[in-house]
Amino acid sequence: MALLNTLLLLLAALCIPGLINRTRARLAGRKGIRFVQHLYDVRLLLRKDAVYSTTTTALFRAVPSVYLGAALVAALLIPVGNLRPLISFDGDLVAFAYLLALGRTALILAAMDTGSSFEGMGASREALYGMLVEPALLLTLGTLALLTGYTSFAEIFSGEAPRGAEFFIVLLFATYILVKIVFTESGRVPVDDPRTHLELTMIHEVMCLDYCGVDLAYIKMAGWVKSAALSMLAADAAAALFGLHWWIAAPLSVVLTGVSVGVVESTQARNKLSRNTTFILTIAALAALLFFTAYLLQLNIAIQ
Amino acid sequence: MAAGHPGSQPIQPVIMLFIYTLLFLLLTCLVIFAAPLRCKAWAALALVGVGALWGIVRAALVLGGGSQPLLWSLPDTLFGGDTGSMDPLSALFVVIISLGGVAATLYSRGYLAHTLPQKSPTHVALHYASLAVMFYAMLGVVCSDGGLSFLFFWELMTVASFLLILYDAQRREVARAALAYLIMMHIGFVLLVIGFVRLDTVCGSGSFDALGEYFHEHAVWPLYAVFLAGFGMKAGMFPMHVWLPEAHPAAPSHVSALMSGVMIKTGVYGILRITGALGDLPALQTAGIVLLTAGIVTGVWGVLLAATQNDVKRLLAYSSIENVGIILIGVGIAALGKAAGNPMVALCGMAGALMHTLNHSLFKSLLFFGAGNLLSQTHTTSLDNLGGVARHMPLTAILFLAGTVAICALPPLNGFVSELLIYLGLLDGIASGSNILASAAGLVALALIGGAVVLAFTKLYGTVFLGSPRTHEVAEASEVDNGRIAAMAVPLAGILFIGLFPGTAVGLATRASDFFVLTPVDAAEWLLTPSLAAVGRTVWLLLVVIGVLLWLRRRLLRSRRITAGPTWGCGFTSVNVRMQYTGESFSEGLQAVARPLTQSSGDGAPVGKGETFPDAHSFDIGHRDRIGRLFAAWWVELLRVINQRVMRLRTGKINHYVLFALAFLALVFLLSICNVI
Repeated sequence: MALLNTLLLLLAALCIPGLINRTRARLAGRKGIRFVQHLYDVRLLLRKDAVYSTTTTALFRAVPSVYLGAALVAALLIPVGNLRPLISFDGDLVAFAYLLALGRTALILAAMDTGSSFEGMGASREALYGMLVEPALLLTLGTLALLTGYTSFAEIFSGEAPRGAEFFIVLLFATYILVKIVFTESGRVPVDDPRTHLELTMIHEVMCLDYCGVDLAYIKMAGWVKSAALSMLAADAAAALFGLHWWIAAPLSVVLTGVSVGVVESTQARNKLSRNTTFILTIAALAALLFFTAYLLQLNIAIQ
Repeated sequence: MAAGHPGSQPIQPVIMLFIYTLLFLLLTCLVIFAAPLRCKAWAALALVGVGALWGIVRAALVLGGGSQPLLWSLPDTLFGGDTGSMDPLSALFVVIISLGGVAATLYSRGYLAHTLPQKSPTHVALHYASLAVMFYAMLGVVCSDGGLSFLFFWELMTVASFLLILYDAQRREVARAALAYLIMMHIGFVLLVIGFVRLDTVCGSGSFDALGEYFHEHAVWPLYAVFLAGFGMKAGMFPMHVWLPEAHPAAPSHVSALMSGVMIKTGVYGILRITGALGDLPALQTAGIVLLTAGIVTGVWGVLLAATQNDVKRLLAYSSIENVGIILIGVGIAALGKAAGNPMVALCGMAGALMHTLNHSLFKSLLFFGAGNLLSQTHTTSLDNLGGVARHMPLTAILFLAGTVAICALPPLNGFVSELLIYLGLLDGIASGSNILASAAGLVALALIGGAVVLAFTKLYGTVFLGSPRTHEVAEASEVDNGRIAAMAVPLAGILFIGLFPGTAVGLATRASDFFVLTPVDAAEWLLTPSLAAVGRTVWLLLVVIGVLLWLRRRLLRSRRITAGPTWGCGFTSVNVRMQYTGESFSEGLQAVARPLTQSSGDGAPVGKGETFPDAHSFDIGHRDRIGRLFAAWWVELLRVINQRVMRLRTGKINHYVLFALAFLALVFLLSICNVI
C-alpha cells in the first residue's frame, strides 16, 4: 500500500505541470504543447553539458541534490487518501514543513553563492515569503490535528474524520488555504511568475539562473515533487468531505492544482512585489480564522 | 573545590565549603599565574579538563540511574544549612557546562595566541584563571540545592564572567558593555537574594525543596515573580535581554561562546527549578501561561532583531535570545500540559526544552567559535565587509555551515530533534484538546521563529561565506590553526550525534525531565520512542537519498563537458563585487514588516536623486533594539550621575577615610541605641 501511495504521488508530480500547461493553452484558445513536454525538457537538460560560475563553491554543486532529496523525503510523508505513506510518525507534519524548509534554505544559499545581486534578490524574497508562509502552513495542519485529534498525516487522513455540515465548511476552507499555499510555495502567479522575462521581478526562477544541465533538471523535478506533495495535502483535505479514498484524492490533487493554477495564471496578473507580503500575511490570517472556526465548532460539540 | 572531595563520605559534619573554594581559587590562580606565558592556556585546559571529566563521569552515573549522593553539606550557614547534590536535571546541565567549558578553553589557546605579545602575563593569567573559576562556579551553581552556596557560586560566576569580558579592556565599548553587564547581573542578583532571604525567613531553609513547601503554604506569585525576574535576567528573557547584544560582541569569542552557550543556561536552570517547585498547584497553569507568553515574546523579538543585525556577533547574540525564547515556550507548554493532567504534553515540552538547551549550547558555541575565526583572520565581524570567506577558510566554512543548519532546526542535525519535540508537545496540546489556544499561539510563534531563523542565518552565511570577497583583508585571509578546528569539532560531534541518533540523546533529556513530569521514566521513554525511532530513520533516509542523487549527478556529468565562466550578469557587462547583495539588502523586506520593533539609524549621506555622477558617499545603516534604547536612556545615565557623586567621597586622604569609619561606627551606635537594628 505504501508503494502504491508513493507511486501515485510521483505520478501526480509528473501530471500537474502538464495539466497546468494544457489549462492555460485551452483558456488562451491554443492547442498547447504536448502533455508530457516538461518530461522531454528535463530529459534534454539531463543530457546537457555544464557551466559553473567561477565564484561558486562545492556548496553550489551539492545544493540541487539536497533540494530534490528533501522534496522527495517530504513527499514520502504524505498519504494519498486513506493509503498509508511510507513514513509516518507522531509529529510528521512538522518534519514535512522542515524538510521543505531544508530545501528552501539550500536553494537560498546556492543563490547567494553566485555573488550575483539578482540572485541575492531572489534569495532574500524567498526567505521572507518562506518565513511568512510557515505559520500559515503549520496552523492549517494544526487545525486538522484539532479536528481529528491526531498528530500524524496518516492518522489525520485515516478516514475517521468527524462528518457534519460544519466540518464541511472547515475542510473546504482548509483546502482553499492549502491551495493558496501551493501557489506560494511553488512560485506561481499571483506571488511569482515563472514566465516573466525580467530578472528583477523574479523570485524562484532568478535563484536558479546559474544552474544548467543536470542541476537544473534536479531543481525542476524537486519543484514538481514539492507542489505535488502540497497539492496532495489539499486534495486529502477536500477528499475528506466525501470519503477518503485514494482514487478520489489522487486525481483530485492533479485537477485541483492543475486547473486552479492554470486559470489563475491565465486570468490574473502577478502581484507587485510589495503586495506579496500582504498576500501571504492574508493566508496566515485566513489560517488563524480557520483555526478559530474549528475551535469554536469543537467547543460547541463538547457542550452538546 | 569541595565538590571533588566529599563524595566518598556522604554527610560529614562541617565541610568548610567556602574555605575549600577559597583554597581552590588560590590554587587555580597559583597554577595559572606560575605557568609560563605560552603554557597558561594548557594549565587552564588541564584544570577545566579535570573538572569536566569528573562532571561527565558523575553525570553519566546519575543519568544512568545511579544514586545521587550529596556533594557537600553545611549544617550551619546563613540559610540554615546548605547541601549540594546532583539529580538528573543537574547532571544534564553538568554535561552542558563540561562540553562547553572544555571546547571554549581549547579554543581560547589559538584565539588569544596573537594577542599575547601585547598583554602583560598577569593580564593573560587573570583571564585564564577567571575562565577556570567561571567553569567551576557554573558547576557549583547547578549542583547546589539552593541557599547560600547557590548565591555564592552565582555571584562567583558573574564576577568571573565580568573579568572575562574585560580582556580587551582598553577598548572603550568593551569597558562600557562589561559595566552594563555587571550592573544588570547585580540587579538580578539582588532579586535572587531577596527571594532566598524571604524563603529562608519563612521556611528556615533556602533550598529549592523548601521553595516547594513555601509555594504550598503561601502566596505563590510574589516570590515566583521575584525569582523569575532574577533568573530571567541571566537567561536573557524579554525585556531583560538588553545586556546580551552588548556583552557578546565586546567579549573575546570563546567567552561569548561560553556565556551564550552555557552561562545563560544557568538562568534557564533556575527557571526550571522554580517551576518544578510549583509541583501540581493550581498556580502552575498561570505559570505556564506566563512562561509561554514570555517565550513567545522573547523568541519573536530576538529573531526579528537578529535578522536585521549586520554584525556577526550581534546577530548571534540576538539569536541566543531567540533560543531562550524557544526553550521557554517548551517549558511553558510543559507546565500547561502538567496542569491539565496531560503527561504527553508535559513530557514533550520539558524534554524538548531540555534537549534544546543542550543543542543550543552545542551549535551556539560552534557558531561563536566560527565568528572568532572570522574576527582573528579578517579583523572584522561586519557582514558587509566580509564575503567569499568559504574559499579562503574552507574548514571554518564547513563547520559554520553545520552550525547554521543546526540552528535553523533543519533535518538532519540536532536542532530539528529538539524543536520537533516542542512542536509535538504543542500539537498534542491541540489534538488532545487540553490547551488548544495556548498551544496554537506557541505553534504559530515557533513556526514564525523557524522561518525567521532561516532568513537570519542564510543572510549571515550567504553574505559572509559565499559570493566574492568584499575587501582585500578577506581575500588574503587564511585558515586558522588546527587547535581551534579541533575545539570546533567538539560541539560538532555532539550536533551530529544528537541529529543522527535522536533516540539515545532524548533518553537523557527524558531522564532529566524526571523532576517535573510525574510519569515514571520508562513510561516516558515508551511514549516517545516510536516517534524518535521514525525520526532517526527519516533522517538517515534523507542522507541516503541525497547521497544517491549526488552519485547519480556525478555519473551523468562524467561524460559531459564542464566549463567555468563568470556568474550570469543578466545583461550587465561590468559586474563587480560591490554589486553583491549585502546583509542589509537581504533583510530589507523583513525590515518593512518589523519596523515597529527596531529603530533604524542612518549615518552619513545617501546618494541623492539628482546626482547623475555621484561622488564617494559613506552611508551607514544600523538597527537598534527599542527596548535597549529605552533602558540605555535613563538608568545608565542615572547610575553615572550617582557614581559621580559618590566618587567625590574618594578623596585619597587617609584622614578622611578614618573619619568615614568613625562616622559609620557612630551611625551603627546611634541606630542600635534607637533599637532600629
